[in-house]
Amino acid sequence: MTAAIRNLRENPRFLFTRLPNILSFLCIVVGVAWLLLLPLDDNSRRTYISENALLPGQVHAYFTGSEQNIFRGYKQELQALLNEGRETENQETEVEVTPAASNKVHSILQAAGLKVATQKYEYTSAGITHQGENIYGIIHAPRGDATEAIVLVAAWKTADDELNLKGVTLALTLARYFKRWSLWSKDIIFLFTPDSKTGTQAWVDAYHDLHPESVQPLPLKSGALQGAVVIEYPFEHHFQKLHIVYDGVNGQLPNLDLFNTAVAIAGGQMGIGANLQEMWEHNDSYEARLQTMMRGMTKQGLGYATGAHSSFMPYHIDAITLQPKGEGWEDEMALGRTIESMCRSLNNLLEHLHQSFFFYLLMHSNRFVSIGTYLPSAMLIAGNFTIMAIALWMRTGYYPESKPDTPTGEKSKSEKPTKTGAKKIEKETKMNETALPERLMALPLTLVTGLHLLGLVPLWTFNNIFHQYFTTATYIFVVVDIVLPLFLAALLSNGLGVSKPIIPQQYLLIKSFALLLLGLALSTLATLNFSLSFMIGLLCAPLSFIGRLQGPAALRYGVSSLGLVLLNLLSPPMVLLGVCWYTGVSVESVLTQAAFGWDVWGMWTQVVVWCVWWPAWLIGCVQLGSSIF
Amino acid sequence: MAVDRRMIGVFGVAFVLRLLLICLFPSLPDLLTGRVEVSTPVNSFKRLQEGLYLYTRNVSPYDGGVFHQAPLLLPLFSLLPDIHSNPVPTAIFYFIVDLVNAYALVTISESGQSIQSRLHSAVRKHIQWDGVSVAAWFLFNPFTIATCLARSTSVFTTSGILFAVSNAVGGNSVNAMLALGFASYLSLYPALLFIPLVLVCYDRHLQYSNKSSKAVGYVLQHAAILAASVVGLLALSYLITGNFWEFISATYGFHLLVPDLTPNVGLWWYFFIEMFDSFREFFIGVFWLHLASYVGGLTARLRRQPLFVIASLLGVFAIFKPYPSISDASLYFAMLPLYRHLFPLMRYTFFAVSAILYSSLLGPAFYHLWIYAGSGNANFFYAITLVWSLGLSILLADSIFSALHDEWEQDHPDEQGVEVKQV
Repeated sequence: MTAAIRNLRENPRFLFTRLPNILSFLCIVVGVAWLLLLPLDDNSRRTYISENALLPGQVHAYFTGSEQNIFRGYKQELQALLNEGRETENQETEVEVTPAASNKVHSILQAAGLKVATQKYEYTSAGITHQGENIYGIIHAPRGDATEAIVLVAAWKTADDELNLKGVTLALTLARYFKRWSLWSKDIIFLFTPDSKTGTQAWVDAYHDLHPESVQPLPLKSGALQGAVVIEYPFEHHFQKLHIVYDGVNGQLPNLDLFNTAVAIAGGQMGIGANLQEMWEHNDSYEARLQTMMRGMTKQGLGYATGAHSSFMPYHIDAITLQPKGEGWEDEMALGRTIESMCRSLNNLLEHLHQSFFFYLLMHSNRFVSIGTYLPSAMLIAGNFTIMAIALWMRTGYYPESKPDTPTGEKSKSEKPTKTGAKKIEKETKMNETALPERLMALPLTLVTGLHLLGLVPLWTFNNIFHQYFTTATYIFVVVDIVLPLFLAALLSNGLGVSKPIIPQQYLLIKSFALLLLGLALSTLATLNFSLSFMIGLLCAPLSFIGRLQGPAALRYGVSSLGLVLLNLLSPPMVLLGVCWYTGVSVESVLTQAAFGWDVWGMWTQVVVWCVWWPAWLIGCVQLGSSIF
Repeated sequence: MAVDRRMIGVFGVAFVLRLLLICLFPSLPDLLTGRVEVSTPVNSFKRLQEGLYLYTRNVSPYDGGVFHQAPLLLPLFSLLPDIHSNPVPTAIFYFIVDLVNAYALVTISESGQSIQSRLHSAVRKHIQWDGVSVAAWFLFNPFTIATCLARSTSVFTTSGILFAVSNAVGGNSVNAMLALGFASYLSLYPALLFIPLVLVCYDRHLQYSNKSSKAVGYVLQHAAILAASVVGLLALSYLITGNFWEFISATYGFHLLVPDLTPNVGLWWYFFIEMFDSFREFFIGVFWLHLASYVGGLTARLRRQPLFVIASLLGVFAIFKPYPSISDASLYFAMLPLYRHLFPLMRYTFFAVSAILYSSLLGPAFYHLWIYAGSGNANFFYAITLVWSLGLSILLADSIFSALHDEWEQDHPDEQGVEVKQV
């Protein structure tokens, strides 16, 4: 056994070529397996409320009876105004909020005794202009000093672009109802936005004075925002269950306590079940848990805003959206009571939500894994690139040294009889060795840095061109991705008169630097957005194992061409096309959404794609392509 | 004049790159100015603005306890146009300071003192970079660019140190002392470089002139010049501020006693946050003693290469200073390429560079999690500053190891090439 280990240790080929490959591969396999094991009972935990002050569901909710008449009255008025507007403009399909309706919201809030203000905003992205007007009212806390506030948001259009008439009406009714209570110790802000994408972003940016010029500043403000709840009710019938949406921009999540409070109140106090991640049927089996987790990871990884609540997250304000779903016997009053109870819980808070987890993966409404349990899986995948980079670096240091060794050995063997001569030669070789073989790093460093900077070109393009050109641009990039690596490979192998032809050591160095950067970026990213790091890591996993091929020409051509074709299927634009084809969404709409996210939400998924994934992929292709030339 | 054309090329490209960065990303300078990795309480441009505001309104700039920099910077910056309405002249002023620093590096490199001095002659003389390449490493180092764009006032200290060294290796010992006086006046800690610097001057003096002078006399004479230059600058400062003790305690007292524990890339802030107040004075003494003790040890051990002692001390300062920033690291990285001939002997470059790269990515990420996202805490960021210091320490220790190895090979020509392995 020990002999075998010693043998392996003295075998450079094993140490520098085989072992890193095995280790890297193991890292990836263990990383994926780790993720798959998370839904098991032993690895996940039941959720619990950490913050004792929240006391969810410990108070009686009084929002019933007569308030329903007021709700109906408000709804009737708003409905009439909406219909009026629609008839004059003859728009059946497009839901557009009429100025009359928003004036009505304004006057109802004012009549209820709230301080009301409005804010106009305008965003332009990918050649599309989004504009609108936010209306908001503030209930000043009778028992507070206006240093803290809770936000209730009702958007006229839900996250799925449906008219949220009942949600808006419910918020209005709650505003009138809350105003009469004397127990609030935090201000309550009722915010009415025209849609779920832009309105809250404009408002919360302006609340913190970080708004762009096209957004008006807020004339009226309150204290630090402690939490936000978004109300949706986009249909007429009664509902069955509450769907809780919690993902923020760039994969940020609200404090788990807020989610737990919502689940505890809806499930425990009101007897309404709570769903998450569009899992309408959740039997708490392994498959269902895994599916819930995967859906959560996809949303987190893509990093887009999943509702009006998402815009609050970057400002460290915990926020969720409550969506009624299904047909059942719960009416708007039940939703109102849930929200009342949530506001009472948030009202109890003595300090900002901080007790519970900010990094978690939910797999059921009462099961989760925290960062300590799931992080190793992404870190292992990121680590595989680093292992490979270190191994390649060591290999470039090893081979040049071992080469001069063999001829020296032969020489000394042949001249063994004359001892003095051998010594002389030994000395000479030693003198030569003082000129140590050094790595030629200038070209690899320049190339890797240059290609990473080149990523700024597609980044700029896809965020700044008009939306109608997105599909064309994607196809152009598919072609560029086929041609560019071959061109670079030819340039490197033959020099084409521009530079000296490259030597094998430099190929290894290029790969080493590229993988080092990839590992670096992915492990950093894993701490910020676990899912994105995991997804990119998996898509890049083949890059660890491909390199310049050696062997007979025919074999090299065949294998490398096949490899290039396969690798091209994993290029960023091809993956985008593939996913769009599979889900049936148009490329244009995805990219429009992405550009919108970049311009308005401050989403940086694109940066990762174009400045981390794409350069690494490109260098992998160049490596493989160089075996053709 | 092919060499000069190359130099103009490098300098021109460096200038244009900086100009492009501020034109393409106008918010970048202000973003960098606010980063704790770049701006510390003693070099922050924002704090300088505050001091300047008070100064131009005839209030003592040290009122309010925000400004802690040398008073002579104030009249200098009051000459520049207002930063808010017209930021470009100030930015260009900083670009020029960077280029001037790079020029000093070219001079140091071309003097050849890093390879061959009176007592030392490197074994691998053929492996070296010329002055322009050394300057290019400095000018295109992202840390240097970030410091320059953030308009940190450390660049003036950097200038002082680099000019002190470039004058010393050029044989102009008086100017070297004046420049060191300027640097010490600005930031105090460069005064620790006096002993190795005077040794550089002394070696250079013996090497090129026939007059032999006594070492003690020479050192005392130069110490007097240094003291005179500092006293002169302090006197000028007194003329500007009017209240001598106020400015001394607000600047040097602030450097020495470390009252501001804003996070930075160094090791002091977290330690002194955790410290009980009764132990504070003792540990401040210990920390300073630790920092100063490297001077004696390194100078004695590497007596034959005083210029290398200066370079290593700059690395030590970048790690163990009370308010270090990436500008200190960039100064150390600027001096390292002068020792290109030692690179083949260094063993852990890859790991050190990886650690530094990791920490420079993870540092901002963890700071974001701590301060903005609220999902991390101070320990996240402190852990990364430890990694950063570890990376720099490995690099430092490795370079000192290879310098010693080089000396050893010089002493034992028979044993050259033994036990030299690249990992």
